[in-house]
Amino acid sequence: MKKIELRVYQIVGDEICVSADDGHRVYEIVRNFISEKKKVVLSFLNVTMLTSAFLNTAIGQLYGSFSGEDIKSCLSVSGLSELDLALLKRVVENAKCYYKDPQKMEKTIKEVLG
Amino acid sequence: MEISLPSIDNSREGYEELIALNKSLEDSFFDDIEINISHWFSANLCALLGCILDKAARCNNVKVSVPSEKTRRILQKNGFLAYFGYEKIYDYYDTTVRYLRLKPNEERFFNEYVIKELLRKRKFPIVSDKLEKKIAESICEIFVNAQIHSETDYIYACGQFFPRENKINFIIVDRGLGFRKRINSRFSTNFSGVEAIKWALGSGNSTKQGVPGGIGLAILKEFINLNRGKVQIISDNGFLQIDSQSEASYNLDEPFAGTVIHMEFRTDDNNSYILSGEIGCNDIF
Repeated sequence: MKKIELRVYQIVGDEICVSADDGHRVYEIVRNFISEKKKVVLSFLNVTMLTSAFLNTAIGQLYGSFSGEDIKSCLSVSGLSELDLALLKRVVENAKCYYKDPQKMEKTIKEVLG
Repeated sequence: MEISLPSIDNSREGYEELIALNKSLEDSFFDDIEINISHWFSANLCALLGCILDKAARCNNVKVSVPSEKTRRILQKNGFLAYFGYEKIYDYYDTTVRYLRLKPNEERFFNEYVIKELLRKRKFPIVSDKLEKKIAESICEIFVNAQIHSETDYIYACGQFFPRENKINFIIVDRGLGFRKRINSRFSTNFSGVEAIKWALGSGNSTKQGVPGGIGLAILKEFINLNRGKVQIISDNGFLQIDSQSEASYNLDEPFAGTVIHMEFRTDDNNSYILSGEIGCNDIF
């Protein structure tokens, strides 16, 4: 099956992709494609600045809607620098932990309180 | 009312002085307030002073006097005094980082400001692209954190570049909910200011519901450690300072309703920021 290219620059309309709201716009589009089991490449060509806040909503929250297997089989990325790939990897690992253990926050709170 | 500020730098005592000023102005209405800056004043702290005076100016006539020509010129160069009726001065030496008040939704303008005011300075040393990107990323993460969590009207920023000392100071201030209120409200806890800041620095710790988060501050902390820089965080009555050698926390005499994050980056950082295990596009999910 041919992969469909979704361009982050086109969705956000800018090379600066830092806000959670912009990330959510990307999420909504990617979600539509994965729901239909379409294979997509999310291209970050011409994106010069990313934050974890943007990636959390754009990609991290996909793990709340789909299984890891579905995401792995349908979604790939391109056009990211080495540092941005590392940031995305961290966002993905954090998202997997977050949805695997929804009570994690309460647990960390208890740890601080002793 | 005339208030003379003592010497104020980026120390715990300096922040305490400004927060005491904030407290003393809380009950002033329709008053003439003159703030006299006659001693040392760290230029980047214009962000905190600006945040404090901005609120006071909503229902008072606020003036700022700066008798020392040297200090006055610096605060004219970084644009702070332009808000108080002084002319702007061109910064020939290009060491100031402009004082800025932004609405939380102006993240793109903020990013351009970081690049233009900080990273493209004539005297900014030639650093690796990765170091430059890490500095910009850290600062933008903090701005976006304030945007998402604080519910603030404005976000204030200012900095100062010290070419001979190879460092940049940059500060972001908001007058929003602050860590303590946000965390205690979300989890029905009774954290102190310091406890709230420490929790927020943990990787993955976030008050957001339904969406993962909590990486921005952890990234900043890790980068500061590698870069041998420093970060100071003030929220409510909590003060936390972290550098590559140590971590110190204190309860402040007076709380500050909002959040102050001061970052100090080293520009003589020779770390390559090449990652130990290279990550490919196929290894992400």
